Amino acid sequence: MDFWFSYIALASIYVLLGLSTNLLVGIAGIFSVSQAAVFGVGAYIVAYCLMNDVMTFLPALGVAAVVCVALNILVTLPALRVAGDYFVVTSFGIQLLATAVFINWTAGTGGANGLPGIPPPDLFGYPLETAAQVVVLCLAGMGLGCLMFWLVMRAPFGRLLRAIREDELAVAAAGKSVLRAKVSAAALAGAFAGSAGAFYATFLSFIDPVSFDLDASILLLTLVVVGGARTLRGSILGPFLLLALPQVLTLIEIPTTVAAAARQLIYGVLLILFMLFRPQGLAGEKL
Amino acid sequence: MSAPYLQAEGVEVSFGGLRALQDCSFTIDPKRITCLVGPNGAGKTTIFNVITGFLKPNAGTVHFKGQSLDGWSPQQVVAAGIARTFQNLRLFVELPAIDNVMTSLPQQSGEEPLAAIFRPLHVARAGRRRRDEAMAILQEVGLADRADEMVRNLSYGEQKLLIIARVLATGAELLLLDEPASGLSAGALDKVMTLLRRLQSEGKTLLVVEHNTRVVQQIADDVLFLHQGHLMARGTPQQIISDPALAEIYFGGAL
Repeated sequence: MDFWFSYIALASIYVLLGLSTNLLVGIAGIFSVSQAAVFGVGAYIVAYCLMNDVMTFLPALGVAAVVCVALNILVTLPALRVAGDYFVVTSFGIQLLATAVFINWTAGTGGANGLPGIPPPDLFGYPLETAAQVVVLCLAGMGLGCLMFWLVMRAPFGRLLRAIREDELAVAAAGKSVLRAKVSAAALAGAFAGSAGAFYATFLSFIDPVSFDLDASILLLTLVVVGGARTLRGSILGPFLLLALPQVLTLIEIPTTVAAAARQLIYGVLLILFMLFRPQGLAGEKL
Repeated sequence: MSAPYLQAEGVEVSFGGLRALQDCSFTIDPKRITCLVGPNGAGKTTIFNVITGFLKPNAGTVHFKGQSLDGWSPQQVVAAGIARTFQNLRLFVELPAIDNVMTSLPQQSGEEPLAAIFRPLHVARAGRRRRDEAMAILQEVGLADRADEMVRNLSYGEQKLLIIARVLATGAELLLLDEPASGLSAGALDKVMTLLRRLQSEGKTLLVVEHNTRVVQQIADDVLFLHQGHLMARGTPQQIISDPALAEIYFGGAL
């Protein structure tokens, strides 16, 4: 497939993931390292539905989103009970658990070999078979996600989340339920991650556990840190810049095995450098 | 005889071995300014925490207009009409002044993500009305021209006024103010005292923790003197301040 199509489609899918991570980590202050697991659940659900002719793409996307809403609420509930630092450990455990399930539940997920041959997405029964059509679909999904994020953040809900990030006690004293707002943010983040999974599975037509492991979760954090926390433009900028990196590495003549390691290394170094020297990212606010 | 406006009865709070409140009982009357005084550690802020649902007492009850607040969450207490400020302000410093006020307005359309996404026009229209409400409150405390300023850029005196604006926005009728006048210059102090008097004349009831005896004398209708976690005396500002035994506790340290 043409490089540009692939780049734009993947970047727009990761924008949805960036919005999800931004809502949860940047805005609600729930420091989760398990968003890739939720993303994976969305992808596997859609793959299963389409490969077994259970339903068409849009209803499957809906199911993935709803399941991931529920899952994200469940996963982040401990965050509302244990303090921030402890939750990182909890969500780390959740991520490892999810990866173990993805790898070992071969009947459902194809195990380490993954699921090949996922049918392309369709719209109202009309299959989108060309790369250009799928790219447009991914861009539309991204556009809708950005619109929703923008609407939510400019509404009183967005202001409430910003206030919660600053001072939960003061928000409670203002008569607002901190718990309710955080659960809502987690739910919305789940919907974004699940939808991203739907686009990802159908765009690549192949998924395996590697796409949804701890490295992937850390990549999602890197997207938000580099792009910029809590802003829409940061959530768009991060994925488009960082996903260009593997392509840039292919221009340099190094073996592919080294390139993969180099990419992880560069993501890690970027994460550290940005946290140290530019915590607000390229276009965001301080994390 | 109708129930007291606010009544604390036998409230006990212990933190480990420390008894912050013991058998603390008092009432306050509506539409008056009651000052809560006493040396450091007397339990003034603790009783605020109990009344507003932030702290569950080990024993005792608080009734508001005849209704027990036992087991109520801070949100329920605010909805019932009681709101509080904090001694260390706890403003949202990275938000503009007006957003601090708007956060406290009750029942806003668009406080749920679904409404924000599916009824954006309604939310935007309602938001403009709520902004006008918040502006009116800022006007009342004299900060209308600072509405869009980030809180961290406001002077300390302005922040103290903003914290009162934020508590007013909840619509509560009983305001619990924790040291609203501390650390202020003479000019700012006058502004705050005038504001508190005006709020009272508009029908609010104020329970105010205050250390400054000049402020207490000028604004208080009633004074409650708290010592070692219980009510030691109650009277007019003159009665309390002129009592040599209380002055000894207050200024002389331990009994």
